[in-house]
Amino acid sequence: MSENDFFIGWADETPRAERRFFLGSGLGLLAGTVAVAGGLAFWQKSPGLGTWNQGAVREWTGVITGQPYAMLRTLDIDGTPKTALLSCLGKCGVAARVGSLEGQSVVVKGSLIQRGKHAMIAVADGMDWIAPSPAAQQVDLTFPDVEPVGPVTLAGEILDSKCWFGAMRPSEGKVHKACAALCIRGGLPPAFYAKTTSGESALMIMTDGGLAHGEALLPFVADPVQVSGQARRWGDLLLLDGPVSAITRL
Amino acid sequence: MSHGYNAVGWTPFKKRFDRWMLAGIGLYLIVFVAVSVVAPPDGESFTPIQILIRATGTLAFLLLTFILCIGPLARLTDRFKPFLFNRRHLGVTTFLIGLAHAGLVLLWYHGFSDVNVFVSMFASNPRYDSLAGFPFEALGFIALLIMFVMAATSHDFWNANLGPGVWKMLHMGVYLAYALLVAHVALGAIQFEKHPAYLALLASGVVIVSLLHLYTALASSRIDGGKILNAGWIRVGATSDIPDGRALILQPTDAERIAVFRDGDRIAAISNVCRHQGGPLGEGRIIDGCVTCPWHGFQYQLEDGRSPAPFTEKISTYPTKIENGIVFVNPEPNAPGTEEAPSIIGAPA
Repeated sequence: MSENDFFIGWADETPRAERRFFLGSGLGLLAGTVAVAGGLAFWQKSPGLGTWNQGAVREWTGVITGQPYAMLRTLDIDGTPKTALLSCLGKCGVAARVGSLEGQSVVVKGSLIQRGKHAMIAVADGMDWIAPSPAAQQVDLTFPDVEPVGPVTLAGEILDSKCWFGAMRPSEGKVHKACAALCIRGGLPPAFYAKTTSGESALMIMTDGGLAHGEALLPFVADPVQVSGQARRWGDLLLLDGPVSAITRL
Repeated sequence: MSHGYNAVGWTPFKKRFDRWMLAGIGLYLIVFVAVSVVAPPDGESFTPIQILIRATGTLAFLLLTFILCIGPLARLTDRFKPFLFNRRHLGVTTFLIGLAHAGLVLLWYHGFSDVNVFVSMFASNPRYDSLAGFPFEALGFIALLIMFVMAATSHDFWNANLGPGVWKMLHMGVYLAYALLVAHVALGAIQFEKHPAYLALLASGVVIVSLLHLYTALASSRIDGGKILNAGWIRVGATSDIPDGRALILQPTDAERIAVFRDGDRIAAISNVCRHQGGPLGEGRIIDGCVTCPWHGFQYQLEDGRSPAPFTEKISTYPTKIENGIVFVNPEPNAPGTEEAPSIIGAPA
């Protein structure tokens, strides 16, 4: 470095050598920026399926229940009965808002959150999200009896159903733990995403003695866990019934 | 320097630096978002806010890693001095990007609920007793608070009013913030993103920052202490050992470093520590008769350690003498700003 190359930040002139180095290193850093940004974005874990178009608000007719979580048994596109879980627009369930319409035929207004065969309706804000159905149903949409499948011990992760169905992508793991806990605390149905070593997977709605899980479940949310309980089938839903004491962290 | 305060003391180079900085930040965000939109398999997509959370989070971490490399790199090569001069803008920008990351996280992961977002952040994950399960968000939040204090006090107004010692101590908090951010990433994103590139980037950032600091610390500790002779005078070296317009740096025992400058036939000694941000004056040059700090260009007169009017900074001066062509300095400092006549090469002893 010659005497004239001494860099003084407040000077009007930047020494030529400094300008050259700055240009070279600036171009190098920009190239590195593109490579690092592209690499980190490309190597992200797959976000998962699921969609939620909040603008597409429509009405569904079906039979509603608030137990163990708010659900609507309605008709799928192919005319077969389908159970859609219900949520508010945020991180809360709507079981407490079913009230006297429990077990009744109703019209529910909201937007669809859907991941494969799993569906949830995020109901509209305000009081007019639900109304008794004015017309009798041609298909019986009464919730069927719960059928026992048998005792199971499964490894996997406890998720909140709304995010996993498509409200957030991705919606698993440590980075989503606080959000999932907040959703389940707010009354959204917890779901157990079971995965076998051979790659098979199943999503089961979690209950405790047939009722909704409470806050004792929250510390286990989003951690790798093993759950022992009773598998049950409720129409097109798969349930996993068991107490928090039957959950062990892996 | 401290004559008056503007929000930003713009210089041509600072403007050029900021344009490059903003181009780099914009490019990073654009590339990250574009690849995140295009790369997922058919039918899968990230939610836009989650893309932005990741883009801003990774960018803030990378920027802070780069910022921490600038100091030692500037000690290794003068070519990095321009980066050092503009490090403050980079730091404030990094804080703002971190703030955007935190704001999006609070909104997306902790909002839309009847629970206060800050309560949610600290309480939704109660596993404070577990390393793997630790609520990593809390670590990032504390790091952001530290960066806020640093960004808020980054202006020279605070440096002058808090005093360089307090200001420096406050801004050393960046190392705590970086450690917290490393833990935030290691216990958060790295627990989820399993591609080795993420772990490799985190680890290489930590290793590079640590090695650069270690190397420059070792190099700095090798500065000659000089030999203490009779009556406490330290032998600096022959007058010809000091290049014209530059200095030799001495490290007296248990005292501040001394920079012994030569300006033509004048030899004078001043504190090696710039009053502004503690820059190494002995690595600077004499420009227009003043010692000029290599970090931010603060200047001091050789004969009294005062910044030229209208500036008001003062540093300590030291008595010097030349005997038989050998320069000696008395390590007992004069009060800052005290006039001390330079020794003249060739003058009778």
